[in-house]
Amino acid sequence: MHIAVFIKQVPDTTEVKINPETGTLIRAGVPSIINPYDHFALQSALELKKKHGFRVTVISMGPPQAKSVVQLALALGADDGVLLSDMAFAGSDTWATSYALSRAAKKSGKLDLILCGMQAIDGDTAQVGPGVAQQLGIAQVTFCEHIDLDGKKFIVKKLIDNGYEVVEVKPPALFTMIMPPDYAPDYPSFPDIHAALAKPYQVWSAADIGAEERYLGLKGSPTQVNKIYPPPLKGKAQMTHGSVHQAVDKLLEIMKKERFIEE
Amino acid sequence: MASIDAISRNLMLDSLREYAKRRLPFDFIRRHDTDNEFPAEILKEMYDPAILGVHLLMIPVKYGGVSGGTFDIYRVCEALARIDLGIATSVFATFLGTDPLNVGGTEEQKEKWLTKIAKERSFVAYAATEPDAGSDLVNLKTRAEHVVKNGKLTGYCLTGAKQWISNGGVADIYTVLALAPGGPSWFIVERDMEGFSPNKHEDKHGIRLSNTAGLSLDNVYVPVENLIGLEEGKGLLQAQAVFGYTRLMVAAFGLGAGLEAIEIAARYSQQRIQAGGPLSDKQGYTHKFLVPNIVRLEAARAYIEETANRLDSGEHGLQTEGAVAKYFATESGNKAAEDAIQALGGYGYTHDFAVEKIKRDVKITCIYEGTSEVLEMTIYRGRWQEHLKTRGRYYLDLADKMDALHTANADVGAEACALALRSLAAVLEECRVQKLTRHQHITFKLGRLITMGEAAYVFSGAAAKEKYSESVRFDAQGWRAMARVFAREAALTIAVEGAALVLGTAEGEVNLSVDVAGAAAAQKGLTADMDIVAAKLKQTFKAK
Repeated sequence: MHIAVFIKQVPDTTEVKINPETGTLIRAGVPSIINPYDHFALQSALELKKKHGFRVTVISMGPPQAKSVVQLALALGADDGVLLSDMAFAGSDTWATSYALSRAAKKSGKLDLILCGMQAIDGDTAQVGPGVAQQLGIAQVTFCEHIDLDGKKFIVKKLIDNGYEVVEVKPPALFTMIMPPDYAPDYPSFPDIHAALAKPYQVWSAADIGAEERYLGLKGSPTQVNKIYPPPLKGKAQMTHGSVHQAVDKLLEIMKKERFIEE
Repeated sequence: MASIDAISRNLMLDSLREYAKRRLPFDFIRRHDTDNEFPAEILKEMYDPAILGVHLLMIPVKYGGVSGGTFDIYRVCEALARIDLGIATSVFATFLGTDPLNVGGTEEQKEKWLTKIAKERSFVAYAATEPDAGSDLVNLKTRAEHVVKNGKLTGYCLTGAKQWISNGGVADIYTVLALAPGGPSWFIVERDMEGFSPNKHEDKHGIRLSNTAGLSLDNVYVPVENLIGLEEGKGLLQAQAVFGYTRLMVAAFGLGAGLEAIEIAARYSQQRIQAGGPLSDKQGYTHKFLVPNIVRLEAARAYIEETANRLDSGEHGLQTEGAVAKYFATESGNKAAEDAIQALGGYGYTHDFAVEKIKRDVKITCIYEGTSEVLEMTIYRGRWQEHLKTRGRYYLDLADKMDALHTANADVGAEACALALRSLAAVLEECRVQKLTRHQHITFKLGRLITMGEAAYVFSGAAAKEKYSESVRFDAQGWRAMARVFAREAALTIAVEGAALVLGTAEGEVNLSVDVAGAAAAQKGLTADMDIVAAKLKQTFKAK
């Protein structure tokens, strides 16, 4: 089987601040990292590779420096890597991105499974994975935590409100991955990083994937971001101390006083 | 030496930092520091090719390593120093221990030993220093006597004592410098050889996570094939051949440790409220503890990188540059750590905050791999020759280049830098005319002034570039302000100290063309530039 993992390079948002005057991100000096959900998706693919001998291809879309997340994936054990990089992709929203990625998936040959992170920590839309599945017309399961293979079917553990759902899916399919609570990402060793340099790596342009320019970039994007701003802080937080009972009593007292609840 | 591409290098740095975050929390380091304990299991893990394989950086690909270049090794050394200088020292000892092999080993020796070190994750130690031979290796007392069987040289018997050997008590393989009949030579000694024994682990001021011990060699038989290069008498040359480059690694230690201390202080200063506002908003604080230190450390970074790039592009030796880099970066790191304690006040003086440990640790970088004073002398000797050879033009030519740079870019302190270099040339020339270098004190001081001048020259040049190195975390506005602040410091220091040096020593009439008033006038705008640097520090090192 052949798995493709879509990964994205994002600013480490724990370090990013928003410029309140211009409404843009202050990116200076902020390190770029692999989107943490994608990192887990990659590790899930590599686990399947280890167990079942699948081939794992990683695909990223971004400026030339996004090569670094592809190299990271290769160092961690992916077999080959692709970077979609072309000025024509610049400014793509989730729709245009899904279109480009689905074209890249088609060019990658017969894929049995596509894995994505649930969402990227810079945009938090959670739309690209489902968008790709839609464009390709394949089954999708979102918010997955674990994948097993049973013969020719995937058994997926999907997070839902109040628990999990276990779903059987026939390939080809696309899953978006959450991060399990106890998960710690793997990092490659020096020799693995060095060895990754010898693995196949390609850069594809819009023409390479046969994408039509009118569906790409700003002009192919139905959504445009006007402004980013942090939500204004409202009111004051009040901390309660003591035992749970004391804290609950205090809380009830406040809620009554503020007339959130009736006596 | 081959170099790794920037992406791979940064992935390696990420892996190292992530490893440290998980496995080397401050509590762990602090406990081992208190207990004076070498964390052998951590080092073995760091050498594990499935986990990190950090020692592979020094080993060529064909022997199972990753063939790191000087720039790569500098970046990793800086990152290691930020984690813990004891651990960094232990890794460095393995790097250094393999150096005589890398430089002087035969193909068979490299194949055998480097492959073994790569594969078996061996700890290596570099054993040159002796109780009576530290900076002065010519006084070497450890002997290597010929062992002849049936008229054929089969090996050597080594007898003597080594002192202050990093990894001394824990290494598997030692490269030992000993005096053979044909002169000083390097030998490979294995831990289990008869007659070889390490002494007790030293109780040191700092770098307490690294093992340091003396070695006793009592008639240790070493087979002839363990003589590095299979030729006697090459030892000192082999040792010197790598100084340009090993000193750059220690320079990176000073840089990393100093930056770590200053960053801790910079973050702390935003949380600590005194007299109604954070310390980070008070000039009395920032312009004393933070700004001068970050400026010197960034100047040191520029100098280290310039030297590393030159070595990677095939230049050899660069002993003087290596000495300047180490002397400047380690003294700056030491000063930064000292100031960081003061910057944290009472907290800085306790074991609960890392700065006092960094201060104890970083001091060693001013001592090992050439003390600051040996380096002052080395720097003076190297550049004095240039001054004489060029009939005093050496620094005047550099000053002319700074004039040209100032015309192209008036933003990087090149004008003050040109002033600094002209003062330097004048001081050197008057020292020649008055024959002042008969005084050892003068030669050492000249080493310091030369360092200031060259660091300013390189920093202004680097700050003028359109694209900065991957390691620079400040924007052009910030880095250029730093270059201007440093160029002013260099101009004033060289003019005032240089004039004092000459006037204080000369017996005859002095004709010194140092423009002290010009250096003072060049200080215009200094406080405004320091304000810029303080603001950049706040922006770059946000409170956690």
